[in-house]
Amino acid sequence: MSGFEQLKITFFEECNELLQSLESGLADIREGTGDEDTVHAIFRAVHSIKGGAGVFGFAELIEFAHVFETVMDEVRKGNLATTSDVVDVLLRANDTLADLVEMARKGEAVAKGYGNDARHALEMLLTGGDEQGKQAAPAPAKEETEEFSFVPIKADDFDDKPQVEQVRTFSIVFRPKPDVLKKSIDPGFLLNVLRSMGKLDIVADTAGIPPLSTLEHDSFHIGWSGSLETTSTREEIESIFAPVAADCEFMLTDLTPATVTAAPAVEAAPPPPAVEVAAPAAATPAPAPVVADEPVAAAPAAASRPQEAAQPFLPAQEASGNGKEPRGGAKQPSSVTIRVELEKIDRVVNMVGELVIAQAMLQQVIDELPEHTGAKISNILSDLVRHTRGLKDSVMAIRAQPVSSVFQRMPRLVRELSAKTGKKVQIEMVGETTEVDKTIIERLSDPLTHIIRNSIDHGIETPADRVAKGKREEGTIRMSADQRGGRIVIEIGDDGGGINCERVLKKAREKGLVDPNAVLTDDEICNLIFLPGFSTAETVSDISGRGVGMDVVRRNIQDLGGRTTIKSEFGQGTIIQLALPLTLAVMDGLVVEVAHQTYVLPIPNIVECLRPGQDEIHRVIGAAGALNLRGDIVPLIHLADVLCVDQAADDRKNGVVIITESSDGTRMGLIVDELLGHQQVVIKSIEENCGTVQGIAGATILGDGHVAFILDVEMLSSMTSADNRNLPPAAVADAAMNAARLN
Amino acid sequence: MPLAMTFKVLVVDDQLTMREVTRLALQEMGVRQIIDAENGDDAFKKATTQPLDMIISDYNMPGMDGLGLLRAVRGHPAVRKLPFILVTGRGDNALVVSAAQAGVNNYIVKPFTAEMLREKVEAVVGKLS
Repeated sequence: MSGFEQLKITFFEECNELLQSLESGLADIREGTGDEDTVHAIFRAVHSIKGGAGVFGFAELIEFAHVFETVMDEVRKGNLATTSDVVDVLLRANDTLADLVEMARKGEAVAKGYGNDARHALEMLLTGGDEQGKQAAPAPAKEETEEFSFVPIKADDFDDKPQVEQVRTFSIVFRPKPDVLKKSIDPGFLLNVLRSMGKLDIVADTAGIPPLSTLEHDSFHIGWSGSLETTSTREEIESIFAPVAADCEFMLTDLTPATVTAAPAVEAAPPPPAVEVAAPAAATPAPAPVVADEPVAAAPAAASRPQEAAQPFLPAQEASGNGKEPRGGAKQPSSVTIRVELEKIDRVVNMVGELVIAQAMLQQVIDELPEHTGAKISNILSDLVRHTRGLKDSVMAIRAQPVSSVFQRMPRLVRELSAKTGKKVQIEMVGETTEVDKTIIERLSDPLTHIIRNSIDHGIETPADRVAKGKREEGTIRMSADQRGGRIVIEIGDDGGGINCERVLKKAREKGLVDPNAVLTDDEICNLIFLPGFSTAETVSDISGRGVGMDVVRRNIQDLGGRTTIKSEFGQGTIIQLALPLTLAVMDGLVVEVAHQTYVLPIPNIVECLRPGQDEIHRVIGAAGALNLRGDIVPLIHLADVLCVDQAADDRKNGVVIITESSDGTRMGLIVDELLGHQQVVIKSIEENCGTVQGIAGATILGDGHVAFILDVEMLSSMTSADNRNLPPAAVADAAMNAARLN
Repeated sequence: MPLAMTFKVLVVDDQLTMREVTRLALQEMGVRQIIDAENGDDAFKKATTQPLDMIISDYNMPGMDGLGLLRAVRGHPAVRKLPFILVTGRGDNALVVSAAQAGVNNYIVKPFTAEMLREKVEAVVGKLS
């Protein structure tokens, strides 16, 4: 890829960030929370997009951005107030700008006249809505010429100012901290600057250089002390070292007799011992009983703590503990973030996964060692386990992104749809900063878009209808995201008409989706809209289509290991809830044994494990009975039955009951033979090799090298409740397990 | 030896794209030592702590802008003669006047080509190659 092509990629990446800050800035202004900085940031974003577009010659983009920029400039100067009408125009301009960027990115030709509406609206703002005043609109960017007379100044044209000042003598101590080179500070350069100011007489102190064996090539261990005869003032010399105050020790003492007028009382601390250490033999005038008027920046602390200062070179730097001087670096706004290719992070994620497996294997081996050897190693291993977990969490945190990146696209969608349908809709967002794995974020966009389309098209009523029902004219869509337990829960609610259960049930019966005699609860009826091919809208619109959406939504979320639930109250509105895992790669699992096979249950689904007494089990309902769990009746089921594993009845140990809870709150007691332990497992997909197997979420490699299936508790729960057992899991499971055995 | 071989430039822009564009243009001229900074404060620190032959800075940046950087550089005894080229937007003549008053060596209008940049740079420091 040529440098230029690479540059284009960089530009579009940057555009995405700029567009996002543009969108959120405009949202702030609309909410009234924006300030001057917000306006500046918006202006800069548009300006930057225009600048970049200029490099690549995206003509339409440049022209549009130019008009947009001109308007923002007026806003910035306070000539244009951000009334709601103005903000609406800006929001539309923002949408158009985003489209133009997208077209440029894809290399599509821009349709003639595209964005003219938005552009015209912008121009109207500039002319104050006065059609006649069109000439005041910004001239097209390209017509401007450089007709400006400017004579470049040659580099050596600078006149040195005549120097008539008094010659002064300063004593100088200059010690860069060991890490200056890493901060691209060149001490030699600073010395040369000093040298150019007058007569510099310095001696290097090399006492701080460590033995060769411990010398690091990029650490700096030399300091200088000496004197400078110059016509420059103290301020001028100090200003040279001001930018590096935090990275160097620098002491300047004026030795010129005229300045020794200060009263003896000012005679502060004795001259810093550091100087004595620095160059005892040097003919420095420094150690004399001079007035040490206050040393520069980082120096005072060193002087006030002789025991520290006596060491030739302090490491960077507890010595500045008095906290008065600005600590460099901390305030630098740059380099807070770096850009990393996603692929590189994924590689780390994979390696962490392998590390988790290797560690589990190690644990297994250690467990088999004789106790006296094992215990020692075990201790070390437990450290390793803790660090691995920390590493995993950190890596996952790198991949995590705030959901705002997908939430932010929704206001535009709402604007467009409400314009199209003639409904008035506002969108509220809560918890956009909630973070979730990037892969999940990327795949959230489609489902969310679909749900919002449905809400606006079918949920929220027309303004007239709403007023007739006594609601506010403007409908509200509320999106929220928060983390609950090991999951992230996203809710999209509207205050529209809600789901008409009667009509849904009627339709479902007509279509043969429901048994005519089945009695369904309202919740169950609401869930029918997720069935493939279901649509109740009387008229099919081009917005939400033919109802193919909702089953796709559910499937998308399911593919991510999540669950969709819907709550609706007729006349009041609908809430759709998506519960998603935080990450897709590694999870905590409980390893269990059933019929001599090993399975893994995801910990987030497990409420508790117990060994119930016979009297707590009621053998009335279901094959395995029900458990009275502190007053709650929980249906029990043998895991072997759900998975259709052959197991002789007397081989069943009726050992441990694991109470699981699926995301809709349904509890179930799974009976397993044995609990084997808790382990972090790396989820490996089995779909490529075995296809989708109901009830199995994936597989993992255990510490002993065996492959175990990870069970999908959500699915197990629905499999048992639907009494839907004609599935192939057992056969597939056995075959795959044997084939995949590693050792 | 051509000047470009030893020439060291600090490129200042808050936008990565523009920094890279300028870097590519400079590389085309044979300039080998190019460092960059994404804001005025960082640039000032870099400019005053290592030998440089030129600063090419954008005007519009958060924090200290290009004009502020120019004034800071001109006010600093060690680097006050450092050649400085300001990158401006189109038609911003008032800015160029302010920059000229502050002692800018030259200015260049975005967007620019490598050839345009070479002209501007060579007008200040002479032939690069």
